[in-house]
Parts: sequence; structure tokens; C-alpha cells
Amino acid sequence: MKKNILKICIGTPCHLMGAADLLESVERLEPELREKIELKTSHCIDNCCDQAPVAEFNGKVYQDLNPEKLHKLISKNIR
Amino acid sequence: MELVFEEFYRSIPKAGEEVCGDNVEIIKKENKTIVVLSDGLGSGIKANILSTLTSKIASGLLDKELALKEILSTILATLPVCEVRGIAYATLAFLIIDQNQQLRLIEIDSPTAFLFRNDEVKKLDYREFELEGKKIREANFKFQRQDQLFLVSDGVTHAGIGGLLNFGLGWDGVAREIQRIVKKNQNDLKSNINKLVKIFHTFYGDQAGDDYTIIGMRYRKKRKLNIWSGPPLQKKDDNYLAQKISAAEGKKIICGGTTAQIAARELNKELKPGLKYHDKDIPPTSKMEGFELLTEGLLTLNKVLSLLKEYKPGQIPVAGKDGASRFTRLLLESDSVKFFVGRAVNESHQSLNLPIDLGIRSQIISQIAEQLRRIKKEVEIEWF
Repeated sequence: MKKNILKICIGTPCHLMGAADLLESVERLEPELREKIELKTSHCIDNCCDQAPVAEFNGKVYQDLNPEKLHKLISKNIR
Repeated sequence: MELVFEEFYRSIPKAGEEVCGDNVEIIKKENKTIVVLSDGLGSGIKANILSTLTSKIASGLLDKELALKEILSTILATLPVCEVRGIAYATLAFLIIDQNQQLRLIEIDSPTAFLFRNDEVKKLDYREFELEGKKIREANFKFQRQDQLFLVSDGVTHAGIGGLLNFGLGWDGVAREIQRIVKKNQNDLKSNINKLVKIFHTFYGDQAGDDYTIIGMRYRKKRKLNIWSGPPLQKKDDNYLAQKISAAEGKKIICGGTTAQIAARELNKELKPGLKYHDKDIPPTSKMEGFELLTEGLLTLNKVLSLLKEYKPGQIPVAGKDGASRFTRLLLESDSVKFFVGRAVNESHQSLNLPIDLGIRSQIISQIAEQLRRIKKEVEIEWF
């Protein structure tokens, strides 16, 4: 079991606001980060669709993301 | 057991041409099916126009149940004359099959049909006569449950000329290939047609020397498909709907992320959202035991609608691994489709300011149903 769990929402609003880019950016993470993360998707996280795209990292919800923000929050919070 | 008549075709243009000079028209009625194949003189756009006109006129007039003589004289009087050869010309083959499985086939200058019966390909019994100066072949017979019938344009019987063979495959050669392929797998007409096209293409050395078309037809069992899309207006219907779709006969699709979550909760099953984007415009599909397919909602439905609008009866359904293509394929492979549509407003979509016609589920589903009825599928919609 990997230590870190990243869940990306692929519901319609998140998809339209760039969930595909987020998923793609995870595959481009530095190998030492990527190998510690278990990647999952979800149909909705926390019902905060007006703040799409949304992701959850280790239990905490992050809103209004883009690949740069995602990268930053992963490197900051990785265990 | 309910049976349906199924037909698939593929038309391949001559190497270097944009369009195929052969044309196929299929008309499905409640009580009969009409299939028309025409091969225009030459190749390219001119042949395409000749064959399209011929097959459209023929199918239109057949649909109105006009006599053969009228149909022929109308076609001969209407076709544009070829500047190079001074004649207007396209071959014509058509058949009508009614609900008693009685089939009538007429051929004018096209290769004779191939009947696959009892593991063998046979020629039909023809009656020949002349009409409007044309030699005409007619066959009447009762289509049996296990029969399969194939019509081809002469590009198929000529496959291999100047390539692998001196004189092409010929009727016997094509019959041999059809027999070999169909015998191995009698229950998948679509893949057999694809295999046969591959074989003919190989005989041509991967460079089709002429336009060619093959149509396959047979009877098969009716297929049913059930689709649940959208959360119901009343929360108490959640469980009712989940149980209903779970117990329905045939294949099952859930369309919509929220709907899938409701189904998983009510049926106490594990929902596995997918990760893979096969097409960047269509969100990934999910998995759940007992269901053929789980897709995202609105965007997928809109894509399905546009794929269906482009579809012409008899064509082999769209390729593609994304949710919308798989959804469309399941729809096209089914004969009877039942929609369970929930009308609850999805709060999350309200923030997006979607264009109104993209955003309303019930409208899109009504349009999908309309497209399905156009290609003679039975459609039923239940609103919740």
C-alpha cells in the first residue's frame, strides 16, 4: 500500500475545467514523487463543483486546481 | 423467440480515391427490410454520384411499392450520361425481405449473391427475363434461421486482378473465402465482414484496384439494452430504480457519475472510477459488477447523439474505446432500448452556465431516442 493517496475528480464540471490535464500532469511528476502516490479518480469530491477542478490529497480537499498548483501541493504535503 | 434481420456492409474506395463508387441503401420498415447495392461506372466521385442516384431512386420507389418496370425506367431516364463513355450506367441489386422471412432478390449486371446454408456457400435459383432492354435475374426464397446472405460488387469478384492472381478471385474464389470465414464463426456477422474485407484487400496487394463492397445479412435473436441516466426527482425512487435496472433483462448501462454513485450505494456494490482518457473530450468510464458500461453523463450523451446522427443503417458501428463510442456501439448493437431517466437537476452543473441545449438531460435523451427510432430500434423511455 502506498503512503499517499491522490484522488482526482472526473465529474462533468471538473472534467470541463481541466481534470484531464491534472491526470496527465501526475504521470509527468518526478519519479521519486510519483512512486509514492496511489492515483485514483472519483465522480465527485465534497460537492464543491463550483470550485472545479477538485482533488483530494491524503484526505484534504483542494479546489480550483491547475497542474502547477497540484504539483506544488503534492511536493509540500507528500509523506 | 423474437428474431431480427441484421445487415452489415463495408464499402472500400479504389486506391487513391476519396469516395467509393459503390453505394448501399438500407431501409428498415416495421414489416420489411429493403437493401439496395449499386456500383457506378468507373470510380471516384462520378461513379459515386451514379450509384447514389441509382440506389436512392431504387430504394425510394421500392419503399413506395412501385413495379420493377417503373423503377427501372425511372432510373434509366434520370441518370446523367457519362461524358467519356457516352452512357449512363450503374449496376443494381436489391432485395426485399418481409416479416414471413420471404426474400425477393433482383440483380441487374451485378455478381450473383452468395447464400451460406448448412455450412456451404451456394448459388440461388434464378429466373431470368428482360425488361427495358436489360437482362434481369430474380430469385425468390424463404430465408431460414441459420442462413446468411452476401451481396458484393464486382470489385470483390475481381479482387487480385493484376496483383496476386491473373484473373481475380472470381465467384467461386469469393464463395470459398466466405465459406471458410463464416463456417468458423457463424454468430458474428460484423467481424466476418471485417475479416472478408481484409482478405479481399490482401488479394489486391493492399491497393484496391476497384471500388468494392460486401453486404452480409442474417437473422439473429433480439438484443435488449437498459440505460439509467440521472438521479430521480424523488429520493425514494433511488432504490426502486437501482433494483429495477439491476433486475432488467439484457445489457445495462449507467450514464452519469452521480447516478453511478447512487446505484453503487443502493445495490451495495463497489464502484471503480477509471483513470484512462481514451479521448480527451470524453471523461473516463468506470466499472461496476453487473453493468456493461458506466460513463460520465452530459458530455458523453452529447457525443453519443452526434455519433448517432452521422450513422447510416448497415454501417459497421464506430470504433473507439472512449465512453461515448462504446455507448454508441451498444446502442447500435441492440434492437430494443429502454431508458430510465431521472429528472433531478444536478446542482453541480448550474455553476457551469452550460448552453441550454447541452445542459438538459431530458432533451438530449429525447433526441437520442429520435435518432434510434430513425434506424428502427424499439425505444421506450420512463421518466422519474
